[in-house]
Amino acid sequence: MAFGVANAHQMSPTYPVLEDSYLEGISVTKVKVFNKREDVKYYEIGVFDKDFKPIPFVAQYKLRGIDFNEYAIFDIYLNNKYSKDATYICSESMLTDIESTGLNSKICSKIKK
Amino acid sequence: MIKELALIGVVGIVSFGGSKSAFALDVPITAQVTGSCIISTETQGTYGQPYAYKLSTAASDGGQQPVTRVDVTLANAYKVKFTAPDSFSSAPQLNDVVTFTGDTEVQAVSDATNMADYETDKVEVNDYVDEYGLTATGSTWFKHSSVANNGGDRAFPSGTYTSYVTAECIAL
Repeated sequence: MAFGVANAHQMSPTYPVLEDSYLEGISVTKVKVFNKREDVKYYEIGVFDKDFKPIPFVAQYKLRGIDFNEYAIFDIYLNNKYSKDATYICSESMLTDIESTGLNSKICSKIKK
Repeated sequence: MIKELALIGVVGIVSFGGSKSAFALDVPITAQVTGSCIISTETQGTYGQPYAYKLSTAASDGGQQPVTRVDVTLANAYKVKFTAPDSFSSAPQLNDVVTFTGDTEVQAVSDATNMADYETDKVEVNDYVDEYGLTATGSTWFKHSSVANNGGDRAFPSGTYTSYVTAECIAL
């Protein structure tokens, strides 16, 4: 059986760590999203609680274009009053040009407590 | 000029007069293993139309089942959840209710020993959602199926129909 990887979406680390930022009361972490999907040009990031309800956060880009075979690092800033509940950081492919049965990929890292 | 020559002289003395350990330089090789999940599209799916009212990815219906590959670099760190289409993401104007069915199953694994139970341990969350625990490192290939039936067995209007499978890799 032979397979070839045509398109891939990758995110790391698995367990990002929240650290104090230069702003008082604000924590920061970063995730790296690697786009090896030729059919995807944009990725959206989000922060969620354990039930996948959205948590407010700040990032320079929440929706960001990532060229094929390129990666982007997202710096994610969280108010400390939300950081306790923040559980997942997810990146999701934004499909703009799909043919027949395409794939919507979503990867969620878990914030290390 | 004199200073430069003096410096070269000092360097030369240190180099030639240095101890053995100065030549046995330790070259560090470091790595930071952070772990990750990779979702890949192996095969793009297509719908076949065995009947005017039915679209299906089954090969016997003239379609092609999409195949997704998921790689993980940490064991027991992720689960993967697949959601089969329950609607078209784009389609011509439809005047009837379309009924979707879909499924996901393991097609192949890179570690036959430690991934043997992936399919039997699958959790069927609902008619469209299947969940797998990724308990071993390596690659797993998942095959998806999707069938759409137009209401009242009426023919689908001509045009292009698209839908997508959602694959979610969630850290545990």
